[in-house]
Amino acid sequence: MTILTRLTVLGALAGTFAAAQPLPKAETILDRYSEVTGGKAAYQKHTQQTMTGTISFPAQGLGGKLTRYATAPDQEYSALELGPIGKIESGFTNGVAWEKSSILGPRLKTGDERDQAAREALFDSQVGWRKIFPKAETIGSESVNGEDCYKVLLTPPSGKPETRFYSKKSGLLLKSTTTAVSPMGEVAVEVEVSDYKNFDGILFPTHSKSKMGAQQMDMLITGVSFDQPAPAGTFDLPPEIKTLVDKAAAK
Amino acid sequence: MSNPVRVALAVILFASPILAQLTTEQKQANLASFETVWTTIRDKHWETNPGGLDWQAIHAEYRPRVEAAASTEAARGIMREMIGRLKQTHFAICPAAVYQVLDADGSGDGWPGFDARVLDGRVIVTEVHQPQSNIKTGWEILQSNGADLAALVAKLQTDPAIHELQLERAVAARLSGQVGAVRSMVFEDQNNARVPLDVKLIPPRGEFSGFGNLPPQPVWFESKRLGNTGYIRFNIFLDLVHVMQQFGDAVQQCAHCDGMVIDLRGNPGGIGAMAMGMAGWLVKQTGERLGVMYMRGATLNFFINPRAEAFEGPVAVLVDGSSASTSEIFAGGLKDLGRARIFGTRTAAAALPSVITRLPNSDGFQYAVANYISQGGKALEGNGVVPDVEVKLTREALLAGHDPVVDAALDWIRKQKVSQ
Repeated sequence: MTILTRLTVLGALAGTFAAAQPLPKAETILDRYSEVTGGKAAYQKHTQQTMTGTISFPAQGLGGKLTRYATAPDQEYSALELGPIGKIESGFTNGVAWEKSSILGPRLKTGDERDQAAREALFDSQVGWRKIFPKAETIGSESVNGEDCYKVLLTPPSGKPETRFYSKKSGLLLKSTTTAVSPMGEVAVEVEVSDYKNFDGILFPTHSKSKMGAQQMDMLITGVSFDQPAPAGTFDLPPEIKTLVDKAAAK
Repeated sequence: MSNPVRVALAVILFASPILAQLTTEQKQANLASFETVWTTIRDKHWETNPGGLDWQAIHAEYRPRVEAAASTEAARGIMREMIGRLKQTHFAICPAAVYQVLDADGSGDGWPGFDARVLDGRVIVTEVHQPQSNIKTGWEILQSNGADLAALVAKLQTDPAIHELQLERAVAARLSGQVGAVRSMVFEDQNNARVPLDVKLIPPRGEFSGFGNLPPQPVWFESKRLGNTGYIRFNIFLDLVHVMQQFGDAVQQCAHCDGMVIDLRGNPGGIGAMAMGMAGWLVKQTGERLGVMYMRGATLNFFINPRAEAFEGPVAVLVDGSSASTSEIFAGGLKDLGRARIFGTRTAAAALPSVITRLPNSDGFQYAVANYISQGGKALEGNGVVPDVEVKLTREALLAGHDPVVDAALDWIRKQKVSQ
């Protein structure tokens, strides 16, 4: 065996040894994320959250404003005002997931799309991830923009799984991939997050870059506040949505 | 189609090429432009092998030719030949001169106060919007600022690559200009007499509306009753918020109409999603879609979200060779669903969603990013929407005060009512 061959074999063995290192359990990684971004107590201190931000689609030259209100345990309302497209509203109230826009009008989300909205509406989803992902497993390591990450696969009771990438060093979430479901079809979504900032004891990523098929979207969070009541009626179902709910119930 | 592309067409067709020796910088800019075009298609085309071609081999074939090109015109010609191999619309290179001309003379948004269409090779006034004007519907426009329009049309019609939409655009460019400018036009009236008139160009009909990188365009919407039938017409699928609101209002106000006519003749398309939204006002059934869009990494349904107040009576959609893109998606989808009867002539067969960008050598580059298959399983690209009832607009009918396409639609709606 030549020296070169011996080195190659040693290298391969070293690789095998490295690969054989046990990966931490997914729950350890997910709980660590809760801790490094503020800890259970910080998260559980709040029952209401208001988030504001800007959103842009650089290739199309489109941009707009996003406002999101969320309240414990699982109510949510978002409004995206996107220039020439107008206002797109969505919400989750008392188990009803809905959307309303200038283009399509009002509609109820059903099936996997509704379940996805329910998961996103869960107020304590960082600390209480077990409520929405009964199965979580660490499936490997991968680099995200040069930073080593644990790759965690989260499987909900229904719908599409989500893969998240947590920095080995900081414990912070750097990327996630999933499949967004809507009547328009299933679209692979990849979101890279960065620029974590502290808002009242909790770290939030304030910059996200999303890729949905050929579309790219940038979002900047400009403000996060807690426990200031949302405007009256924010979580009420809009009349058109209520009509749809009543109609569905009558069927 | 955006303003730069519209102007590009006229320049491509009529401008004399100016050949000049290239500087090193120009050569590099052309080469960089070639790389941009080739790479964009490689990365953005909805097929990983664009047009079924070996795209890497295409690079090897065309790059040396662009390197050796003696002029920017020659380099552009080679790049056009390359994208022509895709055999798909919405791939185009517009000369930088187009933009220079646009900047130099301003082109302008002024229009003559009437609509004109090419009917049987002649440019005919189809609608007059200034009641005080002496010009009448059905008159032929013989000349504009000395240009013989029939000769222009005849020349363009010899090129099979020029479709009706482009032809109409080229003619429209000859009739428009700066607001306030005067165009010397010669008409032929109902008695075949020549009528010279100086036509002062007025601000365009409608309100300007843009969409991201798309330059602002005038948008208008009209709805009225023809007897007890609703009639809706709009010039482009833009100004989403207002047009969607107006469309919804028009449908709701016509809840008890005998039928609905949606006139998309001359409508070049616009925001694709608006077709879905409008269909929601006409389709009651849930789970329906107009068609499917295929992009790199995503397949999107043009799904229909039925409105609670959706119109349930007969719907006629009017189309012609200048009905393109979103107009075709809307008309083709409703036809495939059996929800609308289509009247007029075959549409433009140009339905690919596209993006327009500028190249390093200042040329414009338009490229398609998706393919679209209508609900009936056919690609609209290259096929268009074939009307259920083929009927053409004619000068004779216009002179007699009729629109035979509208008449045919109204006649069908009347028969539907009788049969009910």
